[in-house]
Amino acid sequence: MVSPIARRMAVRPGITVSQAIGLCPPLVLLEPDPVWYDELFAHLLLALSQVSPVIEPAELGRAYVGVDGLEGLYGGPERVIAEIIQAVSRKGGMAVAEDGVASSHFTALPPYRLGWGRGKFTAWVAATRARPGEFVIVTDQGRREFLASQPVAVLPLDPDTHRKLLQLSLRTLGDLTALPEAAVTSQFGRQGRLVWRLAAGLTTDPVIGREVPQPISAELDFPTPIADRVILSQAIGKLVERALKSPRRVGWRVHTVRARAALEQGASWLCEITLKDPSADQHRIAAPLQTRLEQVPPTGAVERLAVEFTAFAPGTTELQLFARDAESAARAGRRTALRAAVREIKTRLKRPLLHHVIEVHPWSRLPERRYALIDYEP
Amino acid sequence: MVAPSRTPLRVDRLRALNLPRRVEVELDQHGRPGAIRDDDEPAQTSAGEHRRAIETIGEVWRVDDEWWRQSISRRYVDVVLEGGRHVVLFEDLTTGQWWLQKP
Repeated sequence: MVSPIARRMAVRPGITVSQAIGLCPPLVLLEPDPVWYDELFAHLLLALSQVSPVIEPAELGRAYVGVDGLEGLYGGPERVIAEIIQAVSRKGGMAVAEDGVASSHFTALPPYRLGWGRGKFTAWVAATRARPGEFVIVTDQGRREFLASQPVAVLPLDPDTHRKLLQLSLRTLGDLTALPEAAVTSQFGRQGRLVWRLAAGLTTDPVIGREVPQPISAELDFPTPIADRVILSQAIGKLVERALKSPRRVGWRVHTVRARAALEQGASWLCEITLKDPSADQHRIAAPLQTRLEQVPPTGAVERLAVEFTAFAPGTTELQLFARDAESAARAGRRTALRAAVREIKTRLKRPLLHHVIEVHPWSRLPERRYALIDYEP
Repeated sequence: MVAPSRTPLRVDRLRALNLPRRVEVELDQHGRPGAIRDDDEPAQTSAGEHRRAIETIGEVWRVDDEWWRQSISRRYVDVVLEGGRHVVLFEDLTTGQWWLQKP
């Protein structure tokens, strides 16, 4: 992030530190503190959950609050917003945002921006139009008019498509929706159809509340700060092993794992990994963290290291009775079941009915030449 | 997609996937598809109507290939049918017949 004063002196995100200092000699560089940001956001979500049970964190600093049915409890939109502001202030004096579906744009000290509208997109756009510490309510009647006046930059599009829209002199959502939907679809494909409908206020995507997992964590305090990556890597392995032994983990495979470190001089380091295949295997969980440690190491010596499992996928209980590792047991179980099924089908029907899909000419211009089926024989 | 088994690959055991299906296509005055009639799909009305209007036309492209053996010449049209189903239609330019395929 760049402060407005530095931005005025042409400092932009992505330039090198020496370029930035060259452009703005009195520049003050602040080290990011991802752990602190994360904690702040967790507090925000906790505060929001006191107002509504349906909370959807979208990204760090942005959360949607489902407010359907809350009118009976609190009253109209203004009252619900007041409740949210109050809940957040109680939790630590910082910020939120909401929407009708409610979206929240929240920053640490300069406070929240709140947007109220039907559907996440409208609520988010409303939040971005609110001044810090204020809110914008978009009623159902005024939704189309409100969206029509917004710039196309609010649409979730890649920079190329944005540029194309501007080249076509489409500057606002109103300009876009003035064109027939079919024309936009024809020019930009499925993505064009999606954004046309968003711009026209025809898509009202609901807030999807998520089950809040009970995280499992294991921590290690180093008597003297450690900068040696080998030792840190081993420590991560040990912490993963320790966290896996938690009784709360039984019956669950780990889906998301994060390692966080408190560094000397108050800075912090954080890395989060979402495993493609949830696992209960120590090495499979630790390996991506260790790789990340090599690629993006902490910027200082580590005083405290913690590993935390934050999301889980269910394991198969029956298989776990016979195996220590839920993932390998599930895989072995699936294969055994598949073999038995193939045998049974062959015995009953005298011909195999299970097939593999294999690639033949995956890049062929003729769709029927790309993939084929072949009998499955495990 | 699953990993192939250890069984050696035999071409005679392969079965093509996503084979095109014959459909009747109604064209508008500009020669663009406006609706399809697909007898393999469940009827749309109690009168047994198999017609589906085309809601949106996406990309249009042409494939000319394999001129050295059985020449292939097709005009593909990416369409969304009423109800939201996304399919690809192509006109076989040698026979004038229309076919439907998954994208």
